[in-house]
Amino acid sequence: MTNIDENRATIVWLGLLVLTLGSAWLGEGALPAGLTAAVVALIVGVKGMLVIRHYMGLGEPGSRLRLAMRLYFVVVPVLILVAAAPGA
Amino acid sequence: MDLVANAAPAAPAGAPAVPGNRGIWVGILCELSEFALMFLAWAWFRHVHPDDFHAGPAMLNAGSGIANTVVMLTSGYLAVRAVLAIRRDDAIAARNWLIATLFGGLAFLLIKAFEFRWNVEHGVVGTGNSFVAMYYYLTFNHLVHVVWGCLGLIWAILRAQFGAYSAADHEGLEAAVLYWHATDLAWIVIFPLLYVLH
Repeated sequence: MTNIDENRATIVWLGLLVLTLGSAWLGEGALPAGLTAAVVALIVGVKGMLVIRHYMGLGEPGSRLRLAMRLYFVVVPVLILVAAAPGA
Repeated sequence: MDLVANAAPAAPAGAPAVPGNRGIWVGILCELSEFALMFLAWAWFRHVHPDDFHAGPAMLNAGSGIANTVVMLTSGYLAVRAVLAIRRDDAIAARNWLIATLFGGLAFLLIKAFEFRWNVEHGVVGTGNSFVAMYYYLTFNHLVHVVWGCLGLIWAILRAQFGAYSAADHEGLEAAVLYWHATDLAWIVIFPLLYVLH
């Protein structure tokens, strides 16, 4: 069991902001649609995992709650990838 | 477990402790299940009406969406600081961090009000367009959860003000913060669905 501290919380917050701005940049059509969908799905997954792990405190192995929450941020990005892929 | 080890209710030997309390996790899982159904609806309507969804994000005020995302993530960070403060047994600091978190929630609501007004002025209404209808269902629903979260934060602020929390006992504060993070999680998905993916 680990403890987050102020410094790590701040780093996670800055990381989340950078990922958000990266998503916004993708919205400008900077990349092909398929690649945009893939990167967006990846960013959603990473942001979700960061919040679950560091902000909600679900970092303990063996927790069904952690498994359910992590699964959510695997399934939803896959849904995004499938739904937003070209030709979908 | 990062933030909430000290206040978790007693768990059976060998079982991982639950952050906050079990009740708030019922609420969080219900909230996320509800949003999961809406994300499925988004995927379905995107499949059925692709033209609406390809043109949709360009109809919206992207700046408002980005600002709201930054506000939500920042208020989530402030909420973390509140938990860290109470774990140091600094109830005054925890209360102040919670107040800052609440201001983040209120800023979110103000930005949303501005955005909805901007929508009306620019003809972004939900009739006859699947994307716009989905946008309103998702964002209004999320708005309701933000309001619930704000009410929970106000309750925790009042309890902190009157000395209800300490390093040894701050389960209620953690529950309010966890709900706030869950609302943040929903927005993490909603933002790209509506403002990014053409």
